[in-house]
Amino acid sequence: MKLPRRQLLIDPPAASSSDIAFILIIFFLVCASVQPETGMAQTLPRTEEKQDRKQQSRNLEVSITPSSIVLNGSPLNLDEFRRRLTAALQAKKRPEDKVVVVKSTPKTPYDHWIRVSQAIDDAGGVITLELESERTITVD
Amino acid sequence: MKIARRKMTATVPSFAMGDIGFLLLIFFVILARVQDDSHVQWDPAILPNLEGAGAALANVAIDSAYKTYLNGEEIKNELLGPRLNAILGETPAGQRNVFLKVHREAQAQHFEPVIQAIGEAGGDLVHILEPEPEPES
Repeated sequence: MKLPRRQLLIDPPAASSSDIAFILIIFFLVCASVQPETGMAQTLPRTEEKQDRKQQSRNLEVSITPSSIVLNGSPLNLDEFRRRLTAALQAKKRPEDKVVVVKSTPKTPYDHWIRVSQAIDDAGGVITLELESERTITVD
Repeated sequence: MKIARRKMTATVPSFAMGDIGFLLLIFFVILARVQDDSHVQWDPAILPNLEGAGAALANVAIDSAYKTYLNGEEIKNELLGPRLNAILGETPAGQRNVFLKVHREAQAQHFEPVIQAIGEAGGDLVHILEPEPEPES
C-alpha cells in the first residue's frame, strides 16, 4: 500500500512585512526630499542709496524688456549680446569697471532675465540692478 | 518542608529595539528639515551649465501666484530684508547662501525687490534652476 506523503506548507514569516513596507516608504520619502538642487550663484554688490555717478556712467548698461536685450543702446539677440559683452568686459581690468548695470521693465519674465543674467556672469561681469524707487513728495 | 518560591523574571522585549531606533532616527531627520518649502508651487526656469547649489541658510521662493515665501512661510517683501538679516546673523561671507526659487513666469516687478532684499541683507544669492536636458545623440 502506498501512503500519501504529507505535504508541508511553509510560509515565509509575514509578521514584519508591514514594518518593512513602512520603512521603505520613509526611506524613499527622505531620498526624494534630499535630492540635490542645481542653480547659479550670483554676486550682488550691496545696495547703496548714493551711487558714484561718474563711475556708473563708465559701466556697461543693459536694458531688458520681455522681447529684447539692449546693450549700451544697441538692441541685440542673446548670442550677439554674449559676444559683445565678453569683448567689452575683456578690455576692462579693474573689478569696479566690470560692473554691469541691469535695468528691466516691470513685465520682464524671469526665464528671460535669468538667461541674460547668466550671459553677464559668464562674460565675467558683476550685475547691479537699477531699480525704480518710489518717493513721496509733499508739495505745500 | 519549605518550598522555594519560583523566581519569575520579567524582561523587556528587546526584539524590536533596532527597528524603533531606526524609525526615531528617520523621524528626527525629517523634523530637522525645518526649512521645508515643498508646499510652494513653482516651476523653475531651465538653463544650461548649472552647478550644485550646496546648502542654504535660508530659502526664498516666489510661487506661481507671485507670493513671496521665506523658509516656506509667506512674507511681505518689506519684511524680507530684516528677517533675512536675523537669520544670516554674523555668518561669515561665503557661507551666507540664500536660495532663490522663482516661478519661471514671474516678472521683474515680483523678483527684483526680492533680489534687492537679499542683497541688502548681505546674502550670497543662489538662483535655483532646472538643468537643460542634454540633446539626444
